[in-house]
Amino acid sequence: MLMLAQLVNALVIGTLYALMSLGLSLIFGVLKLVNFAHGESLMVGGYLYLFLASFFLSHSCGLPLPLALITSMAAVFVFGLILERLFLRSAYERKTARYDEYVILVTFTLGIFLQNLALPLFGPYNRQAPAIFTGRIKIGDLVIAGDRISAAVIAFLIIALLLFFLYRTYLGKGLRAVAQNPDAASILGISVARMRGMAFGIGISLAGVAGALLGPIFLVNPGMGVPFAIKAFVIVVLGGMGSIKGTIIGAFILAMVENFGSILLPDPTRALAYKDAYGLLLLILTLLFRPQGLFGEKERRA
Amino acid sequence: MRRFFLGVLLLLAAALPFIFQGYWLYVAIVGLYYAVLASSWAMLAGQVGIISFAHAAFAAVGAYTSAMLVIYLNFPIPLAMVAGSGAAAVFGLAIGALTLKMRGPYLALTTLAFSEIFRIFLTAEYELTRGSYGLKVPLMLDGNKTWCYYIGLLLLVATVTTLSLVLRSKLGLFLLAMREDEDGAATRGVNTVYYRLCAFVITSACAGLAGGFYAHVIGLVSPRISTISEMGLILAMSVFGGLESLMGSALGALALQSLTEYLRAFEEWRLAIFGGLVLLILKFTPQGLLPRLSELLDTCRQRKSNMLKDEHR
Repeated sequence: MLMLAQLVNALVIGTLYALMSLGLSLIFGVLKLVNFAHGESLMVGGYLYLFLASFFLSHSCGLPLPLALITSMAAVFVFGLILERLFLRSAYERKTARYDEYVILVTFTLGIFLQNLALPLFGPYNRQAPAIFTGRIKIGDLVIAGDRISAAVIAFLIIALLLFFLYRTYLGKGLRAVAQNPDAASILGISVARMRGMAFGIGISLAGVAGALLGPIFLVNPGMGVPFAIKAFVIVVLGGMGSIKGTIIGAFILAMVENFGSILLPDPTRALAYKDAYGLLLLILTLLFRPQGLFGEKERRA
Repeated sequence: MRRFFLGVLLLLAAALPFIFQGYWLYVAIVGLYYAVLASSWAMLAGQVGIISFAHAAFAAVGAYTSAMLVIYLNFPIPLAMVAGSGAAAVFGLAIGALTLKMRGPYLALTTLAFSEIFRIFLTAEYELTRGSYGLKVPLMLDGNKTWCYYIGLLLLVATVTTLSLVLRSKLGLFLLAMREDEDGAATRGVNTVYYRLCAFVITSACAGLAGGFYAHVIGLVSPRISTISEMGLILAMSVFGGLESLMGSALGALALQSLTEYLRAFEEWRLAIFGGLVLLILKFTPQGLLPRLSELLDTCRQRKSNMLKDEHR
């Protein structure tokens, strides 16, 4: 019974991990950069949802919570477009000599900036965001908290929408084309600069909506994004940088390892503390035995 | 000119304990700790092109190793500091060996994960480290601040000199060649992975040594040393001083550290302000603020001398 509960929990958490890591993966694929501000994008989404939801609830509009969720996702998307325009586009267009290092510095500093802006603005305390569905679901002896199951279902729907967008629509195909070969894509008339902005916006809005969904389950605070960002890094390396399929599978592997790994440690406080540390173990194992990740391509040197 | 400038700077630094005492001397000592970290990080990021986010964590490795060796095994403090530096170098070697053979941001990712999880480890292993309360550490030289300051200054001068010598050596030339054209250097027979690993291990050892110094000067080590915000502070210092200049980064660290003390009233806004400034610097003058200023000074001087020449004609 305990094992089954752990399994369900791992599936729920895994879906949320997949959602935020897909954003990181999409950004890596199209812009060829790791967004070190991914955790803070998640935090921004969490706070936006928290404030919008409490505002809507107190003014009793119809359908307040789903509306708050969608609005916060859209707001983070616009935020991403602005950030890309401000800090990333010029580096790409001017062909900055050391693009790789520049983008790491910029995104990391952006993360530090956002986190330390949220700290004095919102205070260091934990806050709980209202959940969309608060009941409990009973299946036989198994009881699942409603906030978790609703978050997982919504995350699943968003992932399905994202995959439909990427593989079936014109814009999505454009994004994948730029990810595969920007030069060829631009010859065929795709605006690479616009696709890069789009990918960054969509990528961090996925982190933002993940933050909004995680807010009711875990708590919202300025540093909430850091452990999730590190998990997303582990997942993306494990799945293979830029691979959509790898990212989804990697997310569930990490969730399983975390959930079943914590059973192995007898001391409960320690087990809780080290839950976040399993990721590093998985990362080291990946780098040791399959550095290109499960579905990554082996790097070809020019 | 440059030599003269350096000499004046050193003299000023040596005279500092006669001018400032008490609290501001303490501020200067902490500033020296950051200066060692910032200059070694700048060497890595600016000269080698490796962005490591574990520099603060390596300082914590050095600090905790040195502190625990002294407390639990009664090591003499200098030996413990050297051991702390060695421990940081070993971690650097392990992470570097795992990630440097691949191109791309693998080292940045792994070092970030390492520093966060090392912080969790320090907080969770309460029996050994006293968790987030921090571990009380014996002071060096009975806590005489003047002598501590000179030790710190010696450490900074030694770090900057050693790293500059490394950059001028054959290893430095290889690093420069790799930074400019990695494939080119590799085809000329430079073992790029090996030399990058060397640079990473050397600078990690510097961070560990700085951490040991910090532990025995402050008398308290806590997991705060290993936080990502602390790493952000080191990055800000290097970018302010100019990523490609060791001296500049050290000066940037001292400047930001004194600025921090003036900004005590805005304590909680401090990193937001620094972060915002760094974003602006990166966007507008990626080479850093201090080099940019000296460049401007140079052009002014040039213009002046040109004008003088014109008058003579």
